[in-house]
Amino acid sequence: MKILVPLKRVADPDNANKVKIPAAGDKIETTGLEWKPNPFDEYALEAALRLTENGQTPKVRAGEVVVVTFGPKETEQTLRAALATGADRAIRIDTTDDKLDGDLVARALAALIEKEKPDVVVMGKQAVDGDSNQVGQILAELLDWPMATFAATIKEEAGALVVSREVDGGVATMRVKLPAIVTVDLRIVAPTSVYSTKTAATFKYNDGVRFAALPAIMAAKKKLLVEIKLADLAADQALKVEYKAFQAPPARKAGIKVKDVTELVTRLKNEAKVL
Amino acid sequence: MSGLPSELLAAVSRDFPADFLSFDAADLVTYGRDWTQVLTPRPVAVAFPRSTDEVAALLRLCSAHDVAVVPSGGRTGLAGGAVATNGELVVSLTRMRRMDPVDVLGATVRVQAGAITEAVHQHTAPEGLTWPVDFASKGSSQVGGNIATNAGGVKVIRYGLTRQWVLGLTVVLASGEVLELNGALEKNNTGVDLRQLFIGSEGTLGIITEAVLKLTRVPEKLDVFLFAVPDLAAVLALFREARKGPFVIMAYEFFTEKCLARLRRHRNVKTPLSAPSDYYVLLEVERGAPDELEAWLTSLFERELVTDGTQAQHSAQAADLWTLREGISESLSATGLPHKNDVALPIPELTGFCAELEQFFEASYPGWEIALFGHIGDGNLHVNVMKPDDLSREDFLAKTHEADHAIFALVQKHHGSISAEHGIGLLKKDYLRYSRSPAELSIMRAIKRALDPRNLMNPGKILDP
Repeated sequence: MKILVPLKRVADPDNANKVKIPAAGDKIETTGLEWKPNPFDEYALEAALRLTENGQTPKVRAGEVVVVTFGPKETEQTLRAALATGADRAIRIDTTDDKLDGDLVARALAALIEKEKPDVVVMGKQAVDGDSNQVGQILAELLDWPMATFAATIKEEAGALVVSREVDGGVATMRVKLPAIVTVDLRIVAPTSVYSTKTAATFKYNDGVRFAALPAIMAAKKKLLVEIKLADLAADQALKVEYKAFQAPPARKAGIKVKDVTELVTRLKNEAKVL
Repeated sequence: MSGLPSELLAAVSRDFPADFLSFDAADLVTYGRDWTQVLTPRPVAVAFPRSTDEVAALLRLCSAHDVAVVPSGGRTGLAGGAVATNGELVVSLTRMRRMDPVDVLGATVRVQAGAITEAVHQHTAPEGLTWPVDFASKGSSQVGGNIATNAGGVKVIRYGLTRQWVLGLTVVLASGEVLELNGALEKNNTGVDLRQLFIGSEGTLGIITEAVLKLTRVPEKLDVFLFAVPDLAAVLALFREARKGPFVIMAYEFFTEKCLARLRRHRNVKTPLSAPSDYYVLLEVERGAPDELEAWLTSLFERELVTDGTQAQHSAQAADLWTLREGISESLSATGLPHKNDVALPIPELTGFCAELEQFFEASYPGWEIALFGHIGDGNLHVNVMKPDDLSREDFLAKTHEADHAIFALVQKHHGSISAEHGIGLLKKDYLRYSRSPAELSIMRAIKRALDPRNLMNPGKILDP
């Protein structure tokens, strides 16, 4: 199985206090930010690796995992880390972060998919910076492929994937024929969430995404990483979404101490109005 | 209500704020002890001063009424140095957490003793500066306690002990007299450096209330590695290679699979390597030339010095790897009763010492769980003996107390220290003679008597006068 995994780097959410907005409020200051892969994209990569291996022998890849990102040269670091973790090949679509929206990314990905012809695109349900949650859905529409969003488990069958999605009050399970788009949610990296046809049903993965082994990190430097100009995939680079203004959330007020339960209840009733 | 003299209580209620003293049972237990679990806290009360003046006024009162005091910081100590077992008045510096603006030119900052270590890091980081005293308990430990215990930690191999990073001290003596020692001077060659007397004195000579900290630039990008190695000899062999490596070592730590098993029992942690290994090494380095680093790493695998390894790909993974090392101490205490030893050896003696230590464990504690970890790059081993389930607490403590004499005799034989960084406090007091000569002990007693003639400052800790 050949899997395409789109990756996005995001400002490290653990360093949210470093996010600065200039007085004009027209953008987010990106200098000095620490970057890390969007967590849902890391989960997508982990799911793709699990789908292309026997869990018992994770160093042998059955099929191909291709990772792709949009951005300037520095974003190759994100791709190298993915190659070290187990991806076979990487593509960087050269552009800058502020010239993208979900629609343009989806159109460029659709053009790339025409060339690459993957069996499945596994991607994060959304990026934790913009929280747009659009690219997977637009992409499925553009390609007219079946789509399974918010996947919590994936099981490979011949020519299809059985995907469970957590929905209000239960789990919806669907079978999507390949080729297909799957966007993943956080439970996809639980020990028994993803099974390829090679992995025994009794096998349990470690919880979470795998770390890159040192020999693989070094080998990753020799793996193929190609650059494609955005213009070669999308002639029309007009954006449909324009950000008008940014503003920091209001600072949290200091807490107070209450004397006893009676005062707590009174304040919850009269001030917080939650009772 | 309390065993404090009524004149002292009257003076306190007259001259201090209403919330200055607490007799609350929960406060007595909380502030009456540190992380050690083997001693029962029995303080008479807890005082919460807000300034050096309040500490001085309080100690004048205590001196007048012969009330013994136990200074208390973040209470993360592991030797019982901040435990009040004997009706003492605990003086908690918790409310003294003011931090002055950073002096960027001098690379210093003046803080009150109750400032939390991590808060100091956050306070100075925007200026590109840091106080390089760093350890697992940085979220609770306070500057005053760090200095009073000359704390070590995970970056000692790079920066040295707390002692190296303190320029000035404000100290209140038992008499209530306030000493301003050394100001913010890097250089001050004017006789005996009294400041150094109080660093590591564990509150037995006076209470540190303020400090001028020396800062250094925040290190460049760091690389964090975790290696799997088969045994302790391999930990040391890898250390020899790291010393010659093309980088500046920030930390060289090791731990065993047994430590990791305790960590897993206590909390949900990541499993970074595909298969478990008996020993692990965590190496943090300041990023150097990538090609040389790669050649160095490749040679480790070619020469089979390591069996597996990983490198953090971003700061969140680096934090995950550090959790494996820094979470150990807390998890040992959360999942059982550890008897802790914290010994230091000259690095060349480590191999010989560890071989004899293993023989000793087999003979003395057959089948017991020993959790071994530490800052091996500093020659510092944390030896934790876990209480077996079928042994009573009393029997366990008695047995380990007896065995410690044998361990410390071994430490002495290899010219080591019985307490590398935890201090002496109450727990290691009986063994001080394994590391200090009679002449040294007698000088230490003379200093104690000169500064605290009535033995009111943290009495019973380190040694008896």
